[in-house]
Amino acid sequence: MIVADLKPLSEIAASIEGFSKVLLLACGGCVTVCRTGGEAEAHDLARDLSHPEHFSGKPPDLVVAVIERQCERDLVESYLKIEPDCDAVLSLGCGVGVQTLADVQEDLPIIPGLSTTFMGAADEAGVWREKCQGCGDCLLTGTAGICPLARCSKSLLNGPCGGSRDGHCEIDPEVPCAWLLIYERLKRQGRLEHMQRITGPRDWRPAGHSGPRERQRRGIAPGRRIR
Amino acid sequence: MKTSFFQVNDKCTGCLACVQNCPARALDYRDEGDNRTLLHNMARCARCATCLRVCPEQAVEFEHILENRWDEVVSLKMVRCEVCGNPLHSFRLDANLASEFAEITTRLCPRHRAAHQGRAGRPGGQTREEERKPTR
Repeated sequence: MIVADLKPLSEIAASIEGFSKVLLLACGGCVTVCRTGGEAEAHDLARDLSHPEHFSGKPPDLVVAVIERQCERDLVESYLKIEPDCDAVLSLGCGVGVQTLADVQEDLPIIPGLSTTFMGAADEAGVWREKCQGCGDCLLTGTAGICPLARCSKSLLNGPCGGSRDGHCEIDPEVPCAWLLIYERLKRQGRLEHMQRITGPRDWRPAGHSGPRERQRRGIAPGRRIR
Repeated sequence: MKTSFFQVNDKCTGCLACVQNCPARALDYRDEGDNRTLLHNMARCARCATCLRVCPEQAVEFEHILENRWDEVVSLKMVRCEVCGNPLHSFRLDANLASEFAEITTRLCPRHRAAHQGRAGRPGGQTREEERKPTR
């Protein structure tokens, strides 16, 4: 899922300074689960922002709402109701949600309250770790289900660097060496021959290095607009 | 009463750890008289399993949330192929089509429509009645 972090309160406050009424919009998807942009966090943020010390002038009125998925354009178009006197939206969606809102509400400033950080999973309660960089050419077959692009600090594709110490990374000793994890798991599976295979230079275009990516699925007819 | 997707076993003490920790605010409770009732809202539920993890009594039976259950949504009377009896489309759609196009005189499945259209120029072709007869 998509993981995001709340921006510093001072930065959020500065970004809504001068507006009179702001819709603080939570998202019921990924950011609810990673506890940065759900309804509960939206209420917490509204409470924190209500303190006048954050603003030089009058703090904006904040109205909290939640929409199930900010990234679904037709749902946002159909179901998001914004009070007419709101002059901005502070979105607690990920970057995709913020942009979807901005596309739907072109006349309103849409301000992000979160910084989207990575695609990851919770390895343990309350700890989300990056797992995937969406490179567009998955190489997990030969790496025992551990992505060296996302989990090696140097994104090395052909084994560890010389800086691996006691199974940890030289860049951050708290981070386990991805290539040691790969080696151990391949060994456990009796598939160490994958360590011998050389990954050649990659084509980075599927990773987004040739512009924004698009996926089309034919046969999905545009149905009647949701009422 | 319809069974909830969210179910707890008889170890549940009503401590509300699940309610307090649910990130999607999909759990709530109601105290009435001597009773505490735990409430779940599937439309809000993100299926993240936080309830399962935080429950101190292991009372949450999360498998029901993951249950591959089909709910009946609507039941419509169907128009059938006049030859083989296979369902074609609902009477409601039939009425909509009739209002937009010329009245439909035959109601045939794609296979029998093809046979029906081909028979016109094919001497000795089966009639619909003949086709209905079982072949040996």
